[in-house]
Amino acid sequence: MLPGNIICNQVSKRFGETEAVAAISLTLAAGKTTALVGPSGCGKSTLLRMIAGLEEASEGTIRIGQETPRTLAKRGALSMAFQDPSLLPWRSVRGNIALGAKLARKPVQGVEELITLVGLDGFGGHRPSELSGGMRQRAAIARALVSKPEVLLLDEPFAAVDAITRARLNSELPALWHDTTTVLVTHAVIEAVLLADRVVVLSQRPARVIADIEVILDGPRNEAMTRTTAFKNLCDEVLTALEDAA
Amino acid sequence: MKPALWITMVLLLWEGLGFLNPDSVLIPRPSGIAAYLYQNAGLMMRGAIATSQNALWGFVWGNTAAVVLAALAVAVPRSERALSAFSLLVFCLPLVATGPILRVLYGPGDGPQITLAALAVCYTTYLALLVGLRALPQSWEDLIATYGRGAWTVLTVVRARASLPYLFAGLQIAAPAAFLGAMIGEFTGAERGLGVLTLRAMRGLEVNATWALAVTAAVLAMTFYALVGWTARRTVGYAPVILLRAPRGTHALPLWQKMLALCVMVIAVLALWQISMDAFGLSHFFAKRPLDVWMYLSTDAQARAILLAALGETLVMTLPGYLAGLLLGALLAAVVVLLPSLDRGVMPVAVALRAIPIITTAPLLVLALGRGAVGTITIIAVMIFFPTLIACLQGLRQTPGQIVDVFNSYGVGRLRLLFSARIPAMLPAFFASARMAVPAALLAVTTTEWLATGKGIGVLMALTASTSNYNMLWSSVVVLSLAAVIGYALVAWIERAVLRVYASEQVT
Repeated sequence: MLPGNIICNQVSKRFGETEAVAAISLTLAAGKTTALVGPSGCGKSTLLRMIAGLEEASEGTIRIGQETPRTLAKRGALSMAFQDPSLLPWRSVRGNIALGAKLARKPVQGVEELITLVGLDGFGGHRPSELSGGMRQRAAIARALVSKPEVLLLDEPFAAVDAITRARLNSELPALWHDTTTVLVTHAVIEAVLLADRVVVLSQRPARVIADIEVILDGPRNEAMTRTTAFKNLCDEVLTALEDAA
Repeated sequence: MKPALWITMVLLLWEGLGFLNPDSVLIPRPSGIAAYLYQNAGLMMRGAIATSQNALWGFVWGNTAAVVLAALAVAVPRSERALSAFSLLVFCLPLVATGPILRVLYGPGDGPQITLAALAVCYTTYLALLVGLRALPQSWEDLIATYGRGAWTVLTVVRARASLPYLFAGLQIAAPAAFLGAMIGEFTGAERGLGVLTLRAMRGLEVNATWALAVTAAVLAMTFYALVGWTARRTVGYAPVILLRAPRGTHALPLWQKMLALCVMVIAVLALWQISMDAFGLSHFFAKRPLDVWMYLSTDAQARAILLAALGETLVMTLPGYLAGLLLGALLAAVVVLLPSLDRGVMPVAVALRAIPIITTAPLLVLALGRGAVGTITIIAVMIFFPTLIACLQGLRQTPGQIVDVFNSYGVGRLRLLFSARIPAMLPAFFASARMAVPAALLAVTTTEWLATGKGIGVLMALTASTSNYNMLWSSVVVLSLAAVIGYALVAWIERAVLRVYASEQVT
């Protein structure tokens, strides 16, 4: 089920004297993937945390369809993968992934398939302390996916993942979040263009929208696509906007 | 070399020294101690069972109270300051004086032993568990919040489980402390137990018996300590980083609010004291109320002078012992880090010796060093030395590996690394230990005064208990508890000032 568009209306966020996000208005289409890119510390993660209901907007409103982020979360229809994998050290990989479904009050299904998908075959019974940083990150992504959320929020989830696994995840994950409204915060321009239907470029802090680029590419989103001229042109467009932002 | 071979060598050396010095009380021959243990096995066994039972019940009650208090402090954050102050005050009560009072209140039986064991364990467990319940990465709370779950889920799914290693760390410290409390309780006129036998052996100057009892009590406490550690490893299953947080300061509040909070706290404690005495209808003759103590101290100038003079004698002994224990502990920890080959030898011995309640070794030190200032100061220093050594070693090891790598990449020597990186990393652990050492030092000094030296507030409390001078006894409890709380607050104040410079992330 699609939850409806994510509508940010004049959303601002201040931390004391510091303004992190300045009057952003955005409509993120239901069932689509939007990438938020911008300079380090510009307020991308703050905007994502407000969409997750983890931070209250100082001004403005965020609605997901007819609901607030909190009510959506209470239905177990939202999940998020953080920069820090945040795995519970006393649970196995399998137990950590299953926790995502339990917290969302959903049946625990598809854990083994997700373990295979994120390349953790044979590690299901391992504790997080026995995994590398990248493996932990992949387990955290699997945990976010297991509840089959309507809204999926990803805060630089591939930062610690090695290049080969990252390429594989980039080509396989979109199939899993098909029909899910996904918001991805990333530094990697190629990843943003490859995974997203739309790339929103934010300015230096306080974050403002300085470019809103629709990604239209013919053909499957895979490694080969990144070598096409159309893809490179889109990347150049995002990079130019980022240079302007800096 | 294998440990069994080491132990055999030490025992043989000891036996040889004992053979050469047949009259020495410091070096009785292991064969003599073993013979005593063999000949009195039944007596020892009965004593050990009685003391273990009391320690175990005290352990259960004290730790249950600690868990309830910590859960309350987390559930109702506004109550934390009051609960922490109350638990600290209970921890600072001088066991030597509360023992006789409890004996009068309970009459014959195991009540005082169990209560003293409970009092000895409550605060350390409360403190460890409170830190554990709080030591939660923000991202774990965020994770739960993204599923729309609230504080209850955070508590049941994450907090309770995440606090387990901290709880077990507290329980492990509590295990020997329970034996210490139970044995002090037995000193106050119990019918059975190792404490009763120790008192008898000391009065009869029976060296072999004193040693045999010390060995038995030490083995019991170390077994209990090891058992809790074993349970922790089986239950927790992963190695957490134990955080040592400086006590919460009130610097953000204006002065008048601080004073108001202090007044409310004092009134609450006095009211609790009064109400608990009245609720059980206890006689004013032995169960003194706050006003009784106030009237006694404000009207009887001679009593005031005696009390203050005794307190002065006690504090003069406490301070050098306290400082010596802390400094020697930190110094040996630094030496062990500088000479890593020492580490494998020192650490297991230190961990084992920390588990021995001071009450078992105090009589031996008195026998060896005499009843003067040197003996007393040594006992205090020994009491504080081992916990400080272990805390400092753990603190020195918490120096982040990357910082050590940076220093090593410049080819910096070990000494420079110690002063520039390791000691600042050790400071939180050192101060946490220094805080807890304040009541421990006062316990050691009053116990020694009572058992051996015949000076100071320890003996004043023992004398007034035996002569039924309950006004003086209660006044001593109040004055000594106040001294402990003030000492603790002073160390906490220094700790905050130092950590603000060297470990600002520890100061909340």
